[in-house]
Amino acid sequence: MVSYLALGLVAGLAAVERKGFLQAMLSRPIALGPLAGLAVGDAAGGLFVGAPLELLWLGAVNLGAAVPVHEALGTAAIAAGTVLALRGVEGAGLASPALLPAVAVLAVALCAPLALIGRRADRLVERLNERLHARAEAELAAGDADRAARVNLYGLGLPFAIAFVLAPLGAALAATLIPPLVARLPAALPPLAVGWAAFAGFACAAGAKALRAARVRRHYLGAFAAGVAALAILAALKVGR
Amino acid sequence: MSAPAAALELRVPAPTLARCFVRCLFLQAAWNRRGMQNLGFAYAIDPALKALYPDPARRRQALSRHLGFFNCHPYAAAAILGGAIHHEERVAAGSERDATPVVYKATLQGPLAAIGDGFFWTALRPFFGALAALGALLAGWPGVVASLTIYNAIHLTLRIGLFRAGYREGDAVVGAIARLSLPVVADRLRLAGATVCGLAAAVVVARPFGAEAAPLLARAAAAVAAVAGYLALARGARLFPATYAALAAGFGAALLAGRLHGSL
Repeated sequence: MVSYLALGLVAGLAAVERKGFLQAMLSRPIALGPLAGLAVGDAAGGLFVGAPLELLWLGAVNLGAAVPVHEALGTAAIAAGTVLALRGVEGAGLASPALLPAVAVLAVALCAPLALIGRRADRLVERLNERLHARAEAELAAGDADRAARVNLYGLGLPFAIAFVLAPLGAALAATLIPPLVARLPAALPPLAVGWAAFAGFACAAGAKALRAARVRRHYLGAFAAGVAALAILAALKVGR
Repeated sequence: MSAPAAALELRVPAPTLARCFVRCLFLQAAWNRRGMQNLGFAYAIDPALKALYPDPARRRQALSRHLGFFNCHPYAAAAILGGAIHHEERVAAGSERDATPVVYKATLQGPLAAIGDGFFWTALRPFFGALAALGALLAGWPGVVASLTIYNAIHLTLRIGLFRAGYREGDAVVGAIARLSLPVVADRLRLAGATVCGLAAAVVVARPFGAEAAPLLARAAAAVAAVAGYLALARGARLFPATYAALAAGFGAALLAGRLHGSL
């Protein structure tokens, strides 16, 4: 219960940092993944999912009045869901090197839609904030400039509350559904781990696609080919020694 | 438009300017469809108005004009906040008309939003996000901490610098921002970001990340997803369905390979 409260707090603060205050990348998946993992007891597990999620949602930015997917909500649920589900599976006595990626890929499949639900919630919040606008005008008309200015801060409450509730719910869903599924189908662990590898590769592609500029394709595919070649040469040299 | 600063009788004290800047970090706290960042802007500029207008009626009047529509990039808006305070000092001193700060905001918000979105949101932040992800894959959390520290050093330096430039130079802030050549830097950052994504894909392919039971298959799945995924997205595939397709394809290919060759 304490873990879920801590997760709710981390997710709520991230939802505030994401748009309402600062925007210092602390709510981005690469920072929030380990923080959400830490909230439920394993920062390294959170970091494992945070890196590909950062690349997957590299293009999730607030341009003008456009509302992007709520990458912070999705990340908090996926990272914490992975850690909690992994703990549940290990508690059942199952052990395999494929366990972490297998559980992570299931957590992504289960909890990623929360990022879409979060976007809907963001749109609702923007509509509800129109009432704050009216309230500020009313306070000013009543002669209280201090209160009219402070109305702005009330807008932080709803995004915090939404993430505080939804992120632990998503993580709880993953922690409830994934362990029995994995325990019943242990043979599915290696294929699931391969699914994770495919997801991680795809996330890199999504990151490159989010960087819209001429010659991006050449840079991405060129760096990929050069990186694979360099790492293959390094591996061959290592084997040669 | 601006009167010489030396002629001003009223200046906002430095601690109050610092308060305005800190409040500017809450610019989007109550983003709404009617006024967008108007509540945030009014909240940020209020300490300066309080210092400039001891008469409550004049302060209310000034705050009221800043409750009008406003929308800009949250970092770049610091320059407009500084410039609006610059003009409010002159309005309070009687050397400019009441409408001048509003005109200033309306004139600059669009161009600065475009520059801010183009530089910070679609270049600087994605570049450092990709760098942090690559750092995490190669070095774990120190890679993440290093990337985010550098990003925030740049971001906060520019944000504070824009606020100061807006306050000191007023309308001339446009020239100061143009001298930074942000669109050119942004284009280079995007290409560098794409390169980092490519290197991250290579690292994912090189390391099986727990798929030791089928390392070759995991590597092949990651490589195919990294290339085919990019081509699919470039042709207009949507991110969410394509993500699930990549997961399913990797899982399905591994199952099939296991059935056909007994490798799993």
